[in-house]
Amino acid sequence: MGRITFDRSLYSAEAVEAAAAAYAGFADIALERSGDVVVAVVGVTGGDERTIENSFCNLALQETIVRTRRAASEDDS
Amino acid sequence: MALGDKDEPVESRLGFTLGRDHVSLDVDETVYPLEAVYGGCYLFVDRCFVFLFRPRERIVTVRLTSRGPATPAELDALAGEFANELLSQVTRLRLSQATARIREYYTAAALRAAASAPSVDDLLAELDSEELGDDPLEILVPWEEKSGEKDTESK
Repeated sequence: MGRITFDRSLYSAEAVEAAAAAYAGFADIALERSGDVVVAVVGVTGGDERTIENSFCNLALQETIVRTRRAASEDDS
Repeated sequence: MALGDKDEPVESRLGFTLGRDHVSLDVDETVYPLEAVYGGCYLFVDRCFVFLFRPRERIVTVRLTSRGPATPAELDALAGEFANELLSQVTRLRLSQATARIREYYTAAALRAAASAPSVDDLLAELDSEELGDDPLEILVPWEEKSGEKDTESK
């Protein structure tokens, strides 16, 4: 079971939650928010552990970027 | 420095930190704003696994993990490409910030011009309202009439 620490100055907590929901079919992901970090405890239930954990991180980052850009464009308009 | 497949130390030619299947680089946020780092990451998520962490204030470590087996040279090249993309993103960002007011001005000017342009109905109404009774150039006078008068005068 892997522990992945997402720094909240780099990752949006909502984006990590969205990524965890998207990977619910492949892993049991429990999120713990504490201070400046969100810790994801990942228990892969099916498939390659390395691929699933890394893909989950990729999606969390992608979601963060999309949400940040969306928020910035809403602020501009 | 990291260990290679045969547990030999592997050094990055470009000064990055190499691992077995990943390469890391530290990015100074005072030089490369987070927006630029995000821009680079967004372009690389389909090529490799990207993970960010903050070892200390104003520094972002970008870890690029290969999707499949990769040699140290390939990882080095991947990080090099990422660093190039970072530069490109910063340049775009700075240009965009520097020209923001000009773009706003042109957009506003275009919208103003579009708003003040007369519609077809306005043009037709303008035509209807024009004084068509006066004919100082005698355009409405038939040619024969004008010509006949001149002939009479000449006789």
